[in-house]
Order: sequence, then structure tokens, then C-alpha cells
Amino acid sequence: MISLEVGSFAHDGAAPALTDVSLSVQPGEHVVVTGASGSGKTTLVRLLAGLTGLDAGATLLGSITLGDQRLRFDGSPQDPRIDAARWSAQVAYVAQGAWGQLSMMSSTVGEEVAFGLANRGVPGAQLRSRVEEVAAVLGLTPLLHRDPRRLSGGQLQRTLIAAAVVQRPRVLVLDEPFQGLDDDAVREVAAALEVLRGEGTGVVVSAPLLPLDAPRSARVLALAGGRPVFDGPLVDARSAGLGRYGIGTVGEPPGAAAVEDPTSAGTGAGPVLVELRNVSFSYPDERGARPVSGLRGVDLEVRPGEIVALRGPNGSGKSTLLQHLDGLLRAGGGSVTVDGTLIGRQPTGSFAGTVGYLFQDTDQQLFERTVLREVAYGPRVTGARRAEAERRAAAALAEVGLRAVGEVHPYELGFVQRRLVALASLIATGPRLWVLDEPTAGLDAPARGTMAALLAAHARAGGAVVLATHDAAFAEVVAHRSLWLDDGRIVREGR
Amino acid sequence: MPRRRIYNPVTELLTAALLVVLVLVVNRWEFSLAVLVLGVLPAVLLSGRARRIGLALALVTGPLLISSLLLHGLFFPEGERILLDLGIARVSVEGLVFAAVLGVRTSVFAGVLLTTAMTLDIAELLATMTHRGWNRKLVFVVGSSVGLIPHVALRGQQITRAQQARGLVVGRGPVSRLRGLLAVTTPLVIGLLVDASERNHMLESRGFSAAVARTSYLPDSDTAGQRVFRRLLLLGVGLSCAVWLIVSVPR
Amino acid sequence: MSSSSAPAAEPAALRPRRLLLAAGGTLIVLTYVLLVVLQPTELAGGLGSVAALVSLVGFLGGGALLVAGVLPMLSTSSLVVMPLGIALNIAIGQLAGSLGLQIYLDAIGTVLVAVLAGPAAGAATGAISNAIWGLFNPFALPFAAGAALIGLLAGLAAKHGLFRRVSTAAGAGLVTGAIGGLVAAPVAVFMFGAAGTPGTNAIIAVFRSMGDKLLVAATKQGLLSDSLDKIVVFVLVALIVHALPQRAVRQFPFARTQRVLGGRGGRSAAARGNDAGTA
Repeated sequence: MISLEVGSFAHDGAAPALTDVSLSVQPGEHVVVTGASGSGKTTLVRLLAGLTGLDAGATLLGSITLGDQRLRFDGSPQDPRIDAARWSAQVAYVAQGAWGQLSMMSSTVGEEVAFGLANRGVPGAQLRSRVEEVAAVLGLTPLLHRDPRRLSGGQLQRTLIAAAVVQRPRVLVLDEPFQGLDDDAVREVAAALEVLRGEGTGVVVSAPLLPLDAPRSARVLALAGGRPVFDGPLVDARSAGLGRYGIGTVGEPPGAAAVEDPTSAGTGAGPVLVELRNVSFSYPDERGARPVSGLRGVDLEVRPGEIVALRGPNGSGKSTLLQHLDGLLRAGGGSVTVDGTLIGRQPTGSFAGTVGYLFQDTDQQLFERTVLREVAYGPRVTGARRAEAERRAAAALAEVGLRAVGEVHPYELGFVQRRLVALASLIATGPRLWVLDEPTAGLDAPARGTMAALLAAHARAGGAVVLATHDAAFAEVVAHRSLWLDDGRIVREGR
Repeated sequence: MPRRRIYNPVTELLTAALLVVLVLVVNRWEFSLAVLVLGVLPAVLLSGRARRIGLALALVTGPLLISSLLLHGLFFPEGERILLDLGIARVSVEGLVFAAVLGVRTSVFAGVLLTTAMTLDIAELLATMTHRGWNRKLVFVVGSSVGLIPHVALRGQQITRAQQARGLVVGRGPVSRLRGLLAVTTPLVIGLLVDASERNHMLESRGFSAAVARTSYLPDSDTAGQRVFRRLLLLGVGLSCAVWLIVSVPR
Repeated sequence: MSSSSAPAAEPAALRPRRLLLAAGGTLIVLTYVLLVVLQPTELAGGLGSVAALVSLVGFLGGGALLVAGVLPMLSTSSLVVMPLGIALNIAIGQLAGSLGLQIYLDAIGTVLVAVLAGPAAGAATGAISNAIWGLFNPFALPFAAGAALIGLLAGLAAKHGLFRRVSTAAGAGLVTGAIGGLVAAPVAVFMFGAAGTPGTNAIIAVFRSMGDKLLVAATKQGLLSDSLDKIVVFVLVALIVHALPQRAVRQFPFARTQRVLGGRGGRSAAARGNDAGTA
């Protein structure tokens, strides 16, 4: 139905991002394009979606065949240009990052789903019936009147899929559709994709890890360094030793080499680093906002050398608790003491030398022109001189394995590397307490291993870590103990 | 509590705009006051969100009225009837009258437009613009801007918190404040531009460049009667303005 | 399914409507001349209500004609940044307030769009921005033509390479602010009697106490505060665009072909990554 033959593809004079890759997708087929960060999987799915980037200086040698039409590209300026509007009627595409996919002019999910049809002048009555049809297929009917900007992650992703497939394309291509979603939302989106596949749509999904929620018949194309390293059924892929290309499986423990058994570490030694006494907090009522529980009577002690994982469903209060540890939120009742300092009315920025916070959305933190300057920002604002700050930044970059990209703009890096840059800037500042919100979300297997090793090393060196995570396998290997939260209380404690 | 809607947003906006024009043309404080008391006040009270509109109106016009009173009440060199001479500043009758008449006019201007805007259903306005065949690019820019404003404000707040967590403390000096602003604005702009680049592809693939007339998912709440009413209103206000100006200018 | 249309050919829909542009520009200039040259006698006698009407209809109508002329020529890549610029204008205006800054900074988005997408997009952003802001704050409405002018001048400055260095951007901000202040003054005077913030009013009061006419005093004040505001805005935008990744800048044909940011045009990320590796 659609097939792609790439001899080579390169962006704007750079080294080829793809070499000798071919992929064809049949009706009702589910294809997973996988690979570690920088392997070329996003480039590949964007080519399928018709985003060749030829006008922005990219060069493609090869061909794309859609139905009975074959487009040949030989790198000359006369290469065919793909008309995005007509291509998308056959091959729909859902890119990474939800906000860029919303028109932002729709006040309801229904309008957003209808956007593509409305642009093409489909009459009102027909428009509404086609939107209702797609909504029924994807289970969106109860959401049609909701504001698309106030949906949960899974609902938003299904809305974007509906908006892409409302024209009934033959192939649906998605770039990392599960990034940042919790387990329930992943199942919700995977089920929606299954329904479409059942109706004969070919589904192509890119992912950093081999999925658990893919159909049994799924086919895997694994990439490493822009070249194919595996092409075959999912069941075979799991035992094909793809780990050597940095390709892991969802739910697998992180690369265990560097992580030692936490029970052997000296937990519980030394004075308490973090102490929460009967902390309560409630969010102000906001009209239309999704309800988020506050905290109700939380007690917590963390000692140097300890790694504590906070677990529990979305909205159970994990992030709320984390934000109390560096003054982003101030307790309504009770007390929070970090490294001997009672958190009262000090400005949030004054805790940066003691507490390092890794946000779930890394991109809200990066703002410097180069990676090195970015990582040096933390030490600089906490009082280090320029030369000292840059020395510490370079050392931190080496620790996360990004020594080579010091002069690159943070945004020229991939998602996984940006996340590691944020971690490096935390390390360079040198706080004793690390507070991490979903540190493994969206990471590939090597980065997950790096993360686990760095946490263990920090604990061994006398620091402490508190992390909130949905990643059970990661928490079980890395954390010394886990606390389960529900509705703002700690309900269970264990490994 | 959403207000019960009577007229289409386009009709309401046009009526409000023409009311402002009328107030400016007639230029009598009696007329301005009448519009304020008989038009704006009932509209605010019946809007179902009188408190919010009243608060916004006070916040927007209050400082302007006070500063206007201070400026013209104290400094009006053209004034001849002096009530109080304070050396550099002189309180004159002419200055006070100027400030008062201007104050009434400003209040009408703000009252009419703010009441209309704060009860406006943007989705319905965009739908009506689409149904009436307005340029789709204009509809997109207006709709997308209004939709982005809360998103940008929220993202700005989140980035501010993230930078504070990294050690940003905004001091009192202007340089420190501008650095703080830069630390928040740069990631905000980068993130928004990355989104915009993706939105560019999205619009292209959703056929935004198509040449046919765009349709709307929402039904057309505009009626033939209202369209006739709008034309008559435009014609009527235009004619009465012309007549008023011709009659009053030689005076 | 797919077309091999040549991207170079400019579709008819993307050509500017020159008649509308000319009409809009003429209307704005005529309004300004009418207000400044013919008006001052009326102000002394009364309130200048006709002048208020002229400034509202002339500047707003002129702005609308400009937008109508410019919009059809804008590509989708310019179009998608305009809402962003408009939202930034409003959100940063509020953020500046919450950080306790004394200047408005409400043209950052307009200048940003102008630098990335060119003078036409900048002008349209300025005008529509004030029209939308009028929904929250009706006093922004009559300044639409002034905001369009700021966007236009910022785009022209970018086209002539003035945003390649921070110092030249500051100079362009000074000139743009002065012109903007000059154009905004009659609107402020005839619509609102020049009433504004306590700060701007204090400046006007000083000139008034020296016996200046209101229009003269407001013009002098506009020259002062708008220049300062625009210098800061232009410098901020210059710093922001130089901190942008290549990827974000490359999507704008204007910024790419006019080399708005100077030498940062050609080198790719990978090339710089290799430099870093060998350094």
C-alpha cells in the first residue's frame, strides 16, 4: 500500500540520518519503528508522512510508493514535492508533542476533529455526521463538547488521532504517541489504534522501547545509526538481542550493570536530610480545572544515602509532595525541613544549592545558547565563578555521557539528550537532595541505564533522591523503598 | 453561569461599535450619561456576570479617570476661571469640566465595549465569521490568538517556577528583572516556535491552504433578520451622524 | 495524491492586495495630518469629539485595510507565528507587571514576528493584536495603527540587518519608539485626553505646567517613554532570537533568506556538533 526505499537521506549537508532502509506497510498491519535516541526513527516516520523537508535543504535518494504512484528522488532540485493536503488524505500523521497539533482555535473536541474537513469545505451536516462516526470508533463521543486544552494525556492523544483519521486515510503514522503517558493512558491509546487497524488501516508507530501493548502480529523495524538492524515479528524482536543497539523493552529493569543491590548500601545512616511532619496542602478551587488532590497529613523522613520512590495513580499527590521539597509549593499545615533548614518564606531560588529538581517537562528549563552554558547556569546563580562553573558543567556533562555536545544548542538535541542535559545541570549545581519527577519517561534503554547508575552513585556519595515514577521496574531496581500515595495520603510503604 | 444569548455576536459587536461612534458624534455629556445609565448599566446587570464585568470595568477605567482628573484638574494652562492657585498647579473650572466630560465619554467607551467583549462567545463569533465567508486566515489568527493566551500565560508561570527551582531569584534592580524576564521568555518563545513549526505542518496537511470556502462544525446562529437589522443599523447611524454633523457644525 | 508543482511559482493568492495597502496607508497618513495640522484650534475650544471620531475611524479603519491587504500574501509559516506573537504581547505585558517592571513590553510579540516573518506579518500582528487586546482592555483598540507601524518598522529594521547586533537593534528601537510615540500621541489626546498611567501623566503634567498645549505635551511624553520602551523591547527580542536554535529560525523563509541573524545562516547543527567534538 505504501512503501519507502531510502538509499540515503540527509538534513542540510549533515551526515546521512538514514541509509539503506526500506519499509512497506500493508492494510491492517501494525509496524513498530524502534531504535535508541538518534537512530533515525523519527526521520523515517516523517518521510512516510510526506515530510521530506526538501525545501529546507534535505536530500533524499530513493523512492516513495503510495498506491499505484511512485515518486522518485535523486537529490536534484527537480525532485517532486509532496502536497501535504493531498498526501494526508491517504497517510495521516500524528507528530510528537500535542500542543503543536492543536489548531488552538477550537473550543471543543468536535471542532478540532472537524478542522481538516471544514478547511476542505465539507458541508455542515455531513461534517457533523463524519465527526460523530470517528468519535464513536475512538470512544470520543462523551468528550465531543469538552475543551481540547483541558483533556488528560490519553484523551488528548485520542483527539489528535481522531483529527488525523477523520478523512479515513489508508495509513496512520504516529511519532512516539505514548511519550509521557501513564500505563492506563497507553492502554487507552493502544486500544484505539487496534480498532482502526481492525478496520483495515495500516498503523505505523515509532517508539524508543519495544512495546508491551502492541498486537501479537505486529512487525518491528529496528534502526541503529540510521541503518536497519532488525526487520521481523515482534515476538522474534524481543529475543533478537537488540539490547546491543540500545533497544530495550517496556517494563524491563534498567541496564543493571552499574546498579548495586540497594540493601547493601548504608541506608539510614547519618542525620535526617528531609523531614516532613504532618504536612497538609490544598489547591485553590479553580473553575474548570481537573481536580488534583493536595496532601493530607503526610510524614516522611529521608536520610543521606537513601533513594525513595513515590508511586500511585495520576493525581494522587506525588508531584504535589515533590514540589514541597524545594519550596515550589509551601505547606498549608505541618512543617518541611530540608538539610536543617525549615522551609518558610524564603524565595524558591534560594534552595537551588541544596535541592535539585528535575521537572517532568524538561523543555521548560532550557534557555541558554549552548549546552555548556546551560549546564553552567545552575552553578553560576548559586555563587560559583565563571571558570569554576564551566569546569563543573563539563564534568557533569561527562558524567551523563554528553561531553561531545557542549557547544551545540540544547534544542538541536533529541528528547532523550535534552533530558540528560537537564540532569547534568542539576548535577553541576551539586545539591545533596535530588528531586525527580518521572525521570525515566520517554527515555531509551541506554539513558535509562545511565539514569539508574547516576542515582545509585549519588546515594553512595552520601546524597539522597526522592523520585515520583510510574516506572515500576525502575523503582524496584533503583529505590531503597517505595511509598504509595492515594488521594494525598501515604497508604503503603515497601520495596 | 453562561448568559442567555439573544443576538448573534456579530450583531452585538456592531451595535456596540456604532453606539461608541454615536457618542463621539453627538458629543454632549447629557447623551453620554444617558447611554451609560440607560444602555450600559442595564446590560451589565442583565449579563449574569455583573460582578466580574463591574470589577473589570473599575480596574480598567478607574486609574484612567483618576489620572485624568489629576492631570486636567491641576494642569490646564488654557483655563481662565481659577479656583485655586498652587503655584505650578492651578485648579481651573475649564480643567475640571474637561476632565468630567472626558470621564463620562471614556466610561461609555469602555463600558460598552467591555460589556460586549466579556459576554462574547468566541466560538460562536468564529463560526459566524466562517459562515459569512470571512477570510479563513483572519478567522484562524483571531481564534488561535484568543485560544493561545491562557496557554501562554500558564506556560509562562510553569517556566518561572522551573527557573526558580534552578536558582533564579529576581532582585529589585532593573537589570536583574530584565535577566529574570529573559530567563522566562526565551524557553517560552522556543517552545512556542517549536509548536508553531509543527502546527504549520498540521495546517498544511489538514488542507488549510484549500481554495474552497471554509465550513464550520458549529451551526449558523445568525439569521436573515439580523443581517437585515445590521444593514439598517449601519445605514441609520451613518445617516443620523451625517445629519447631526451638518446641523451642529455651523453653530 | 501528490503533485510535482514547482514551489518557486508564487500563487496568485499570495500576492498582496496593493490597492488595499495603499488605501489603508493613505487613510492612516491623512488621519494623522488632519489631526495634527488642522486640529489644535478645536481642542482649545472644546473636547475635540470629531477629532476623536476621526482618530478612531481613521486609524482603526486604516489598520483594518492594511490587515485585509496583507493577510492574503502571508504564507502558512508566517500565519502560525502571528497568534503566538499576539498571545505573547498580552501575556508578557501581564508578566512584566507581575515581575514589577515599569515598562509595558507589550510589543515583544509583534517585534518577534516582524523579525522572523517580515514587515508585513509584523504589521498585521500589531494591528490584530491591539484589536484582540481591545476585548480585554478597550483602551488598546484605537492604538491599532500605531502597533501596526511598530511591526512594520521592526520588520524593515530586521530586513536591513539591524538585528544582527544588539547595539544596532537598540538604535532601531529608539527610532521606532520615537515614531510610534509621535503617531500614538494624537490618539491618546483626542480619545482619552492623554490620560494614562501615573508615570506618563506626571511627565505630561510637567510639560503642561510649562504651558505646552496638551497635544504638544503628550507628543513629547510619547517620544520619551515609547523610545525607552521600544529600546528595551528591541534589545530583548534581539537577545531572544540569537538564543533560538537553528531549527526554529530555519522554518521562516524571511529570516533565512534575509539573513536576519547574520552569519548564523548556513552552518548546520551536525557541523557544529563535530566542531565541539574536536575542540
